Amino acid sequence: MQNKLVDVEKAVELINDGDTVTLSGVSMVRAPMGFVREIIKAGKKDLYLIDREPGMDFDILIAAKAVKKVRVAMLGFELFGLALNFRKAVENKEIEWLEDTCGAITNALRAGASGMPFVVVKGVLGTDLVSIHEKEGTWKVIEDPFTGEKILAVKAINPDVAIIHVQKADKYGNASIEGSRFEDVYKAKGAKKVIITAEEIVDTEYFMKYPEKNTIPYFYVDAVVHMPKGAYPTACPNYYNPDYDEIRRYLAMCREGRVDEYIKEWIER
Amino acid sequence: MHVADVVIKAMAMEIGDNDIFLHGLASPLPALAMHLAKLTHAPNMVYINVADALDPEPNSYKLCLSSADPRHAVNSKGIIELLETFDLAAKGKLTGMFLGGAQIDSKGNINLTCIGDYYLPKVKLPGGAAAAYLTPLVKKLIIWTTNHSKRVFVEKLDFVTGLGYEEGKQKDVTIITNMAVFKTVQEGFVLKSVHPDVTVEEVVDNMSFSPVVKEVTTTPVPSEEELKLIEKLDPDGVRFSEFKR
Repeated sequence: MQNKLVDVEKAVELINDGDTVTLSGVSMVRAPMGFVREIIKAGKKDLYLIDREPGMDFDILIAAKAVKKVRVAMLGFELFGLALNFRKAVENKEIEWLEDTCGAITNALRAGASGMPFVVVKGVLGTDLVSIHEKEGTWKVIEDPFTGEKILAVKAINPDVAIIHVQKADKYGNASIEGSRFEDVYKAKGAKKVIITAEEIVDTEYFMKYPEKNTIPYFYVDAVVHMPKGAYPTACPNYYNPDYDEIRRYLAMCREGRVDEYIKEWIER
Repeated sequence: MHVADVVIKAMAMEIGDNDIFLHGLASPLPALAMHLAKLTHAPNMVYINVADALDPEPNSYKLCLSSADPRHAVNSKGIIELLETFDLAAKGKLTGMFLGGAQIDSKGNINLTCIGDYYLPKVKLPGGAAAAYLTPLVKKLIIWTTNHSKRVFVEKLDFVTGLGYEEGKQKDVTIITNMAVFKTVQEGFVLKSVHPDVTVEEVVDNMSFSPVVKEVTTTPVPSEEELKLIEKLDPDGVRFSEFKR
């Protein structure tokens, strides 16, 4: 096993402008916010962001002009309202977007992790998403070769980079997601490069004592960054809950047209 | 009594004892309805939420602002990845799901994607989440809106994100609003009940298409006991926030 523990500045270099990037977590839980800040600091451009149901991580990257395209099943702030920068960028045609549906995008990530070129998915047929994705080249309605019935083929997703925030990792990249995993294990296993950010760096003895807690083994991982509070203001289960006040403060500043100010303050913090 | 509690009770009544139900993001009312059903008439119902939690313990549950809040998984019986729940749906074993609708048509089809053209939207909505995948697969689809209006109940959707009534399919589609409860069946969009202090005229006048109005009852309200359960699960009143906008 190789020591992959690096400074965050070194890890950010693994991302190239134009890469497809997927981020860990859902909504206000375990988004890799600390690393998102570093992406913005490094001035990355033209990223194609892919995730099931992200939130502030995607919205702030869009506000920072780091994004060319977004593919999501949903992107918003739940009861707090719409993702204002996402909305504005789409409505002003500043970014491209592709709406997905949870069951298809998660299966596509799992297919990517499985090494399969595509996966067939039930449901979805009859909705307007089908023609959008057929044009995009991401889905195709095919015939089940055994029954002849129509079914949706969904192309696998293999992102260039997956950035996964976890509770514990060792310096070799063995990583432990505690609580809800969402699709994060598949994201890591299907991505070409994997960056782990961790609340705590633990000794490998931890995994030797509890091998079942190793959710992303070291051989998938390219870089490990020690980043306490790395999901803040989203939650990191067993460590901290979402800071709803901070998320609301972000949204209030977006509404007032002061998102650049928020980003500047956030980067310098 | 706040209308939120009437909606929660109406949702809970759609849940049966042998059902497996899932709720997604931005779903405080469904989260409470699932608890209420499980604590009353449906103790064996399987409760799965977007925090990947199986059967969260009602005694330690407190409704939070994000439906995926890790506190919604505390003292649950297990972690069920959403993909596993989607696998259940593909096998026909997920009974029910709750979904919102920015626009709803007379078949109970929903739009959660955009207002205007997809490629040139006037309003980009948050997106359909699991709607396109799950609406054709579940046996019970419950659609809710806290904004019963002509803007929501439209003749034609700008985008079909999810499917309501589908002919020949064993699928019970219920639409629950801040004013009334509907079912979509072969004969149309049927008004089943109006909430207390709401008239049939008000319900119909605030829709862009005409529902089928035949035998209309009053939506049952939660009992004192049930209200106490709801209040204990949501002492901060998160369930009212959807009604404030």
